Amino acid sequence: MSYRYLGSRGSGAPSWFFQRVTGIVLAIVMIFHFFLMHTDPASGHTYQAVLDRLSHPFWKMFDLAFVILGLYHGVNGTIGIFRDFEMKPWLRMGIYGFLVVLAVYFGVLGFTTILKF
Amino acid sequence: MNDARVKEGWVKTLWRYYRFPGSWAWILHRISGLVLTGYIILHIYALTTLQQGEKAFNEEMALFLTPIFKLLEWFLFAFVVFHTLNGIRIVLIDFADASRYQKVLYRWVWVLSIISFVGIGWFIMLH
Repeated sequence: MSYRYLGSRGSGAPSWFFQRVTGIVLAIVMIFHFFLMHTDPASGHTYQAVLDRLSHPFWKMFDLAFVILGLYHGVNGTIGIFRDFEMKPWLRMGIYGFLVVLAVYFGVLGFTTILKF
Repeated sequence: MNDARVKEGWVKTLWRYYRFPGSWAWILHRISGLVLTGYIILHIYALTTLQQGEKAFNEEMALFLTPIFKLLEWFLFAFVVFHTLNGIRIVLIDFADASRYQKVLYRWVWVLSIISFVGIGWFIMLH
């Protein structure tokens, strides 16, 4: 029973709300991402094209936002799935902690890749 | 768990829920969400070759443009489009009072998913 450890405020409303907000933004960003990668294969699949794009602050911000939003939405959703299962508090907190560490690790990995250029 | 429903067997219990389209939307949204979460992690990891220079990155991209990866990409799109359209359905249900139309919306999710899946297949296979 996680409510004993999260306090009575742990209703999940903020994560519910942000899941929808990030989802809407991701849906829009995803459309641009698909057209960018597939209308001209070279734009998404050659080193030079990627570097040219990353030299613009706009695309840099676009990619950084994509990493944050994608990982947040994915991990928040996965935590939401685990919320539905009854399990020992230590196991629950272990899984949540693992997922958060996973998101932070790959977030940093994505950031270092983008910010290198 | 000594609920009466458990005694009737899990197949019957599940069937109580899964004869309704909303339950299918719910479980498929979760499955596709888990797949996409796994994918974004792989995607970020795969693109770290960008740090190793032009040769390593272009070699990796050449691999990703082989038919088998294009096929995988096409099926990835199936998960993306379903999750996106069903996500829009969920937002409409939560924020736009669309729970009355959720079954119709679920049908539209499938119609639009299949149309986009076929469309993007043509798009991906073109290059």
